[in-house]
Amino acid sequence: MSLEKIRDPERMRRWPGHMETDYVYTVGLAGERFFREIKDNGKFYGTRCEKCGITYFPARTFCERCLSELKEWVEVSPRGYVEMYTIAYMDLEGNKLEKPEIWAFIRFEGVFGGLVHKLGEVKPEEVKIGMVVEPVLKPKEQREGSITDILYFKPAK
Amino acid sequence: MTRRVAIVGVGYSDFRPATPDVAFHEMMFEAAVKAYEDAGVNPRKDIDSFIACSEDYWEGFSIFDEFVPDQLGAVLKPVCTISADGMYGVINAYLQIRTGAFDIVAVEAHSKASDIVNMWHVMAFAFDPIINRPLKMHPYVIAGLEMMKFLKDSGNTEEHCAMVVAKNKKNAMKTPYASYGSIISPEDVLTSETLFHPLKKLDASEFVDGAVVIVLAAEEVARKLTDTPIWIKGVGWCTDTPWLEFRDWSRAVYAEMAAEMAYKMARIHEPAKQIDFAEIDDKFSYKELQHMEALRLCRKGEAGLLVEEGVTERDGDLPVNPSGGFLGVGNPLEAGGLVKILEAVLQLRGEAGKRQVPKAEVAVTQIWRGVPTTSGAVVVLGRE
Repeated sequence: MSLEKIRDPERMRRWPGHMETDYVYTVGLAGERFFREIKDNGKFYGTRCEKCGITYFPARTFCERCLSELKEWVEVSPRGYVEMYTIAYMDLEGNKLEKPEIWAFIRFEGVFGGLVHKLGEVKPEEVKIGMVVEPVLKPKEQREGSITDILYFKPAK
Repeated sequence: MTRRVAIVGVGYSDFRPATPDVAFHEMMFEAAVKAYEDAGVNPRKDIDSFIACSEDYWEGFSIFDEFVPDQLGAVLKPVCTISADGMYGVINAYLQIRTGAFDIVAVEAHSKASDIVNMWHVMAFAFDPIINRPLKMHPYVIAGLEMMKFLKDSGNTEEHCAMVVAKNKKNAMKTPYASYGSIISPEDVLTSETLFHPLKKLDASEFVDGAVVIVLAAEEVARKLTDTPIWIKGVGWCTDTPWLEFRDWSRAVYAEMAAEMAYKMARIHEPAKQIDFAEIDDKFSYKELQHMEALRLCRKGEAGLLVEEGVTERDGDLPVNPSGGFLGVGNPLEAGGLVKILEAVLQLRGEAGKRQVPKAEVAVTQIWRGVPTTSGAVVVLGRE
């Protein structure tokens, strides 16, 4: 038995672990139609709660306020505006991003909700609150019915 | 249901940014033994029920709650684990005692954040897997967005946020369990590296390891155990919609509603006047300001002004985070709420040493579960 003092924490005994967690997440009834509209038609849809007088976007099958089932689908204009944004300089590994990413919360007229997504074709110093933006979708043949079918939002013409 | 409930014991392990020498069980054991000693109870005989608060993903276990009884003295006793911050555990212990089923309940929460190798990935698992996670955004993007929205709508400024950081890190210099105390200027915060504009490196708390155990007792038992029971005067908790798309980004509505619930119970009508000091969630600098406004410690839009005028300093009229908060102590994951309560108990007992606030009769403590959540709890504590 040694009485040597350990100064290097790397020498403390520890066991490296790795939790493999593979899942498939069911998109559900609302997600199925919401993503299919983006994939097949390049269109945004929400669902309307008549009782509360609001349209949820992204679409969902129930109203979180009155708990009604939502069945009325409403097309939503893909042109939105930047409610707020942030410029990210760090990636998920904690490393400095070579090219900063611009993330925004995008609101759409006449709906309750919005989307958090990236902004593109714009420099960080040019982004402004209230800026009108539109989505840039993947070419139709490459879309797979996912939120990543939207590549980013860009300043609207 | 008129049984009053008091905190009769607190204990904590050595809080440090990294603890490569001790396993989580050993940190829990240290905190538990100290808390039971402080309360003067034998865990194997006297404690009726145990509540531990943990999150499988922070621990790297499945069904982590199975791993808590032995180091708490809770083997073959009623044990339950709450997958939430420790403050929820205290609230549940309070309710368990109020039912009359139990007289003494112990609550535990801890952080072994330094064991988590890829923290940001683990945290990103809290995003909705279909709408948000495929975008591969850093969880602090949410803090950057919320900070911009809150500052714009409330009129508070980045300078006010920087003052919060300087204040809390200064307070932490006198807190023995704080790891991130320092004397810095607001200017140092403003010129620190921008991570998620407008959020800068020093606007965000760093993680810390540690365990806290709190012992609660019914009034008749509490009076026998201690001369300085600290009473639970009100509790509240609330969760907003989890969706980034549907939440309120401007106000901390979860904290407003949790506070109203707790204030009603504690008969606090004018928090700014009736409360002597606050230990509230400051995982990010702007969150302290947002939570001050949510808890009605000031009027909407005036939190920054109070900080600027020194009102929230330790010797000010309404000290906020005299412990140094998470910016000064470190963010101990699910143990956060227990650190807030620990500090409030020490202050209310008059045992806070060099960091004692001048007047400590009634305190409000508050916790938020961090990004990307919209959950939080409030506990009002008092000497009477």
